[in-house]
Amino acid sequence: MVDGKTSGVYNTNQNERTVIVKQLTKNFEVIEKEKGLTGSIRSLFSPAKKTVKALKNISFNIAKGELIGFIGPNGAGKTTALKVLSGLLYPTSGFVQVINFQPWEKKREYLKKISMVMGQKTQLWWDLPAIDTFELNQKIYEIPDTEYEKNLKELIDLLEVGSILKRQVRTLSLGQRMRLELVAALLHRPEVLFLDEPTIGLDVVAQQRMRDFIYEYNRRHKATIILTSHNMDDVVNLTRRVIVIDNGEIFFDGPLRKLVTDYVKEKTITVNLSGQTDIKDFETIGQVKKVKFPEVVLVVPRETAAVASAEILQSFPVSDLTVEEEKLESIIQRVFRRSE
Amino acid sequence: MEKFVKIFKISAQKELAYRSNFIMWRIRNILQIFLIFFLWDSVFSEPQKTIFSYDRPKILTYVFSLLFVRAIVLTSQATEISGQVARGDISSLLLKPVGFFKYWLTRDVSKKIINVCFAFFEGLILYLILKPQIYIQTNPIYLLLFMISLIMAFFIFYFLVMANNSIPFWVPEAAWGVNFILISVLVEFLSGAVFPLNVLPVYFQNLLSYTPFPYLVFFPIQIYLGNFSYIYAIKGIIVSGVWLFLICLLVKILWDKGLRTYQAQGS
Repeated sequence: MVDGKTSGVYNTNQNERTVIVKQLTKNFEVIEKEKGLTGSIRSLFSPAKKTVKALKNISFNIAKGELIGFIGPNGAGKTTALKVLSGLLYPTSGFVQVINFQPWEKKREYLKKISMVMGQKTQLWWDLPAIDTFELNQKIYEIPDTEYEKNLKELIDLLEVGSILKRQVRTLSLGQRMRLELVAALLHRPEVLFLDEPTIGLDVVAQQRMRDFIYEYNRRHKATIILTSHNMDDVVNLTRRVIVIDNGEIFFDGPLRKLVTDYVKEKTITVNLSGQTDIKDFETIGQVKKVKFPEVVLVVPRETAAVASAEILQSFPVSDLTVEEEKLESIIQRVFRRSE
Repeated sequence: MEKFVKIFKISAQKELAYRSNFIMWRIRNILQIFLIFFLWDSVFSEPQKTIFSYDRPKILTYVFSLLFVRAIVLTSQATEISGQVARGDISSLLLKPVGFFKYWLTRDVSKKIINVCFAFFEGLILYLILKPQIYIQTNPIYLLLFMISLIMAFFIFYFLVMANNSIPFWVPEAAWGVNFILISVLVEFLSGAVFPLNVLPVYFQNLLSYTPFPYLVFFPIQIYLGNFSYIYAIKGIIVSGVWLFLICLLVKILWDKGLRTYQAQGS
């Protein structure tokens, strides 16, 4: 079972930086079309160009072996960041280095060490069985036969795709296809893996399977994995560190736990009383949210939660007491909503 | 090298994956030749007639050689790149440790070879049905010049297509249109792929000789038929060489700039 929150596996070497990004800016020129027919005709003759600032002066580092998530609402810039790191896009300004290469130069030695999987694109040959794409990749990445056989077997076992290797790709379900995309992307054992929305469109079971695999792959091969997602479950269950990107800027960068401490200022204490007492006295401890005898719910500042619980236990006839924290999912959603 | 052999094979496999599609392609090929053949066959119905310096065997040879020259020069897989650029589908290839242009050249060669092989059989069948008089060139110098001009034509077309494929970097909605204009209109009519260019007015022919188009189909066939002097043939090969150089340069500039504006859309 994958559980990024409690897992202590932190196979990262902080001294070895796989990704260095300094003051990266990426602008796009887009042509805006006016609405309606007259608008279309007008923009035919004088297209209205507009510069979209997709990334605004962002900086961060990623250590070797990290499993990191770029999260943010749609159009926030997370996929743009991933595409700049992989080498697909040229930065407008700033410094980007991935395993000692400038990605956009697309040097052979660099491309042999990375891989990118895009949830909405395929590298598999649509009309042929996936095994053909794998063999093509073996030659393109110049993987020796023995290594290829070994990697292929491992990936087939991990992803349980043995039975669909020889089926024409177009006849497969999205979940099956995505697993094969991963095989194709990982045959050459990339040091850095970019995953753009790897679980998009998959059902819950397939999503979990994908997450289990990504987690296991990271653990086994110490590969640096950078993923983008707007799926809360991916983030909560998989990544240890998140970079929240919104409107082209980094909104938060750090361990998930820190996101909680930064954005959750309160805890909820639920008290079950065993006898009558003056509810008003609770007001001195925290903000009373709900009273439905024998249950009292109150909110206290995060830091004083322990002291408050102790005080309640001392001063009131209590049969049961629980201290709760807001769920991670709802925090992230709240962070998104606030920035939207 | 091994990787290109594999690209060659997988590309051919894809081509043959759909039988009905493949058969339609072949039928279209044969019909094209049939049509042009009957047109010229009726024009030259009198055996002794000579028009535009063609006699009956030479014009029929022209039509027959179209089958092969078209297969060698004008067959292309790379034409699908323009759509891929517009949709952002070239991303996965761009991130592979293989030269983009070499990859597509290999795929083109793969398709061309399939086309030539089948054209050979189809040509044989057409020959048996139509029994035309065929002009056989025996002069080794003409044959050598023919080969050279064919190789030039092969590369000129490839890079023309590649230049064309870069346009959707800036105008994504033109992906289909640019191919239509270049391949279905300009190349088809100005290269001699439908009719020998001699039928056009002389001043227009002269004008055309300064464009790259006649060097794709018309020029190599003319050399084969021995209709040019050696000097004229060599001069033409030099002009096509200059065009090849210019188009390569253009392709390099366009793609360097294009990849910088590429937005890798679609996800």
